[in-house]
Amino acid sequence: MFSLCNSCPIVSKIRTVIIVTALLICTAFLSQPLETRVWQEVDSQQWRGTIKVVEDTLGQGLTVGILGGFRAILADLAWLQLSTVWANEDRVKLSAMIRLVTTLDPRPEFFWINAARMVAYDVPAWRIRKSGGYNALSDIQKSAIDEEQASQAFEILKRGINFHPNTARLPMEIGQIYMNRLQNDALAAKWFYEASKFPDAPEFVVRIYAELLRRQGKLVEAYKYLTQIYPSLINASDYQQSLVLERIQMLEIDLNIMKENRFQATY
Amino acid sequence: MIASLQRIRLIAANTFLEAVRQKFFSALLLISVGLIFSASFFQQFDFGTNELKFIIDFGFGAIFFFGSILAIAVMAQLFFNEIDSRTALTLLSKPVHRSEFLIGKFVGTQFLLLIFVFVLSLVLVAILFWRESILLSRFGNEARLDALLHYYDIFIFAGVQWVRFCVIGAFTLLICSFAKTYVYTLVTSLFVLIVCQLQYIAHEMYAQMDIGPVRLLVQLVSWTFPNFQLFNVGDQLVLVGSSSLSNAAIIHIIGYGCIYVITYIFLAYNNFRRREI
Repeated sequence: MFSLCNSCPIVSKIRTVIIVTALLICTAFLSQPLETRVWQEVDSQQWRGTIKVVEDTLGQGLTVGILGGFRAILADLAWLQLSTVWANEDRVKLSAMIRLVTTLDPRPEFFWINAARMVAYDVPAWRIRKSGGYNALSDIQKSAIDEEQASQAFEILKRGINFHPNTARLPMEIGQIYMNRLQNDALAAKWFYEASKFPDAPEFVVRIYAELLRRQGKLVEAYKYLTQIYPSLINASDYQQSLVLERIQMLEIDLNIMKENRFQATY
Repeated sequence: MIASLQRIRLIAANTFLEAVRQKFFSALLLISVGLIFSASFFQQFDFGTNELKFIIDFGFGAIFFFGSILAIAVMAQLFFNEIDSRTALTLLSKPVHRSEFLIGKFVGTQFLLLIFVFVLSLVLVAILFWRESILLSRFGNEARLDALLHYYDIFIFAGVQWVRFCVIGAFTLLICSFAKTYVYTLVTSLFVLIVCQLQYIAHEMYAQMDIGPVRLLVQLVSWTFPNFQLFNVGDQLVLVGSSSLSNAAIIHIIGYGCIYVITYIFLAYNNFRRREI
């Protein structure tokens, strides 16, 4: 009976498959400590597409790119395609393309910033136009569209911050959307303040933060902030130094600070 | 033992010569070298990546993509050439063990891939050095921070890629050992390559699944295929700004690859020894 089973080709094949699988599983157990050890070091640093990304890209012929490198060039070509979608004002496809590009290559800040700008500034204009124009919608409807699009832009930028935690440009962009699109000075100030903490923050971030505090009526806070920050501007441009000093002096006037108590520039 | 090694060496040398003479190898090598050379041209499509990072990405893409194709195609072609032209029969009728035949084929093919990887790395280093010199002369110290690369680590990365090609070659050999046709081997090996590249997704999936037969199946997939994402360490090795990879991690990656190579060759031998030629 046993020898009959052995001579049967199906039994033999099944036995081979079982042996092969068992041996591969044993190999996996043997290699698992090595894999776990390396994965801790490699995983956090490298690009990895999730199952969603693989699904997204399968239909677009980009799987080869994901599997075989060339991420930068494929992301760039996808960005060109995205520009066409943007020119056609197709907002549904735009979101999908943004996700694709930023997932393929999350390294350039350019993608995150410009994608967020399209979503926050351009898409509301398309939506309002499609709904009959600016005069056809009430202010509440328009601001609802703005808020919806801005929240999508924030989502993009916050995902970008995960990849670029050490740059001022992405938090600054969030601040700008709050300031320019949503006219929310309090939250804009919060994000400009965050941006000002990074070494690559442009000089104007400091001034905008103080100005946003002033606009909210927080004159004392703005004054304190600028007088505290001024000594650290010793290596800044003359233009920046003189502008900050000018703002300090204007706030002193607004706050009615006595001449003898006014800020003395040390340089 | 020495006689066995001698036979393996002879088969490997013969396999290597046969592989080098193939037009496919020369064509693929030329295409890859041309592609790396043209990286600077493709840079015109770039939107914000550092130029050197772009060239590195492009070069590493070429090494992996064409290297994988070569590892699968050459191994399958040389194996089936021997079977179809009946030279394997002649060879194995002499005192050549089937394991020696398989190991010889594997070593010869991998030597070819080693040369392929080395040539491409050399071209990549030359292009990077040339572009870096231009950037440094154009921007001076301003560019220095962005432009510096670990050139030596490009070769370490190439070595890691070669280990990956060894794993690819070994599983192709395993498929060759039971497959009847070249096309079947080629297609199956490419599918296995894709599964290995995406193996980590199976890891993630079964971690989120409820216990059941589907989870068991996904878990089985993640156990039976190696995780090729472990070999994607180019940015970490080469770019100055990235967090560097420890030597221990590199040794572990090589060890990981070797375990799979040995297993696949053993399984290939297990199949091949019972195969009628």
